[in-house]
Amino acid sequence: MHVAKKEEIFPIDPNKTYSLMAIVEGDSLQVDKDPGDTVSSWPNLVLRELLLFLVVGIAVVAVSLLFNAPLEEPANALHSTNPAKAPWYFVGIQELVSYSAFLGGIVAPAGIVLSLLFLPYLDRNPAGVGVWFAKERRVATTLFTVFVVSMLVLIVIGQFLRGPNWTLYLPWK
Amino acid sequence: MSATVYTIRDSIKNLPKNIRSSVVRPVEGTQEQARAAAVFGNVFLHIHPARVHENSLRFSYTLGLGLISFYLFLILSVSGTLLMFYYTPSTQLAYHNMKDLEYVVSFGVILRNIHRWSAHAMVACVFLHMCRVFYTGSYKAPREFNWVVGVCLLLMTLFLSFTGYLLPWDQLAFWAITVGSNIAAYAPWIGEKIRFVILGGNEVGQMALIRFYVLHVALLPVVALILMGIHFWRIRKDGGLSRPAAE
Ligand code: HEM
Repeated sequence: MHVAKKEEIFPIDPNKTYSLMAIVEGDSLQVDKDPGDTVSSWPNLVLRELLLFLVVGIAVVAVSLLFNAPLEEPANALHSTNPAKAPWYFVGIQELVSYSAFLGGIVAPAGIVLSLLFLPYLDRNPAGVGVWFAKERRVATTLFTVFVVSMLVLIVIGQFLRGPNWTLYLPWK
Repeated sequence: MSATVYTIRDSIKNLPKNIRSSVVRPVEGTQEQARAAAVFGNVFLHIHPARVHENSLRFSYTLGLGLISFYLFLILSVSGTLLMFYYTPSTQLAYHNMKDLEYVVSFGVILRNIHRWSAHAMVACVFLHMCRVFYTGSYKAPREFNWVVGVCLLLMTLFLSFTGYLLPWDQLAFWAITVGSNIAAYAPWIGEKIRFVILGGNEVGQMALIRFYVLHVALLPVVALILMGIHFWRIRKDGGLSRPAAE
């Protein structure tokens, strides 16, 4: 492939007018750097994106041909299902609520959302950015994994191991 | 220099070429310039920079999860709009509409399946995308605010999914929303009031259905779309995707 020289990509043109878009403090990622490690978005990025769209579209259609969305009896306010379960992504919270309504239903969700919102302002050490599971970030990685795993465990318990009256039961029984 | 003569004959002869060049601006220049123009000359592509860092292309870095979330949102918008043609937000009709989709409307089941499974997948992908951003430390400066925008997007995704859950008006929907909205009522002092506002009453009924419907098809999608616009714009303003510091 023909590799362009700097002058070809940014021709020197006295008539060019520039406009200021934003002022960023510190090192800008592009200023004074060659376009060395970059490639043109078309076709390198855009074709990959289109390919991903095809994959997602095919996967969704395939699953939709194979499995039907659930539809139960019509809603009946007088006859409750037992157990009544929240959608799966809230079932972990419902599981916590079964231990303590206030702590599990209000304090825990509020705590999670607030910690997520403040996380980038509390954990500011730039070491290890841009690398999966960076060595320098072992504490953060561990804490977050504990959070993710406990969410998953709670969801699995709530979704699969809770029977009538929210008692523990084994799904194969 | 002789002035150009415009004849109808020439216009007709060059019609295809002229129409084409009026829509797509022709670029003369190096291959690089033509490629850059392909991106910034197209309204759908110009959200991209003309050039991207090689690291941003690595699938093993992003796992494509943000983009997959966005694609699922698009699929949900299209399939959701089609579903709106067949759905009435009334406790009398909603369930029958579901049955009609299953047995009467051509490809109705598949349409409903696409919408339902994409919705579940979107919740999962947005969560996994958040995990990838965390594990790669991509929320560090200057990307703090985009993480905050992301958290708002996660909440929007959950609310969209939750409000949609009620619409089929079957037992699953009714009791899931009853359980979910009861959780809000545990908040001290204002808990009951919050649930009243969410449901438009003390229990799940017609008022709740219409509230959830309006939130689901109008308010929440618009807010989510605006947040996505900010999210994508910020990615560029923050210097593209995060990557390891150059030695
Ligand atoms: C509807 C939901 C969301 C959509 C459609 C979305 C979309 C995207 C896309 C397309 C990217 C580009 C890179 C990639 O594909 O990974 C991205 C990057 C990013 N997203 Fe999201 N996102 C969503 C939710 C979130 C959430 C929940 C968070 C965090 C709490 C988040 C934080 C970020 C950050 C910080 C970046 C920059 C990453 C980097 O520089 O490496 N986003 N998002």
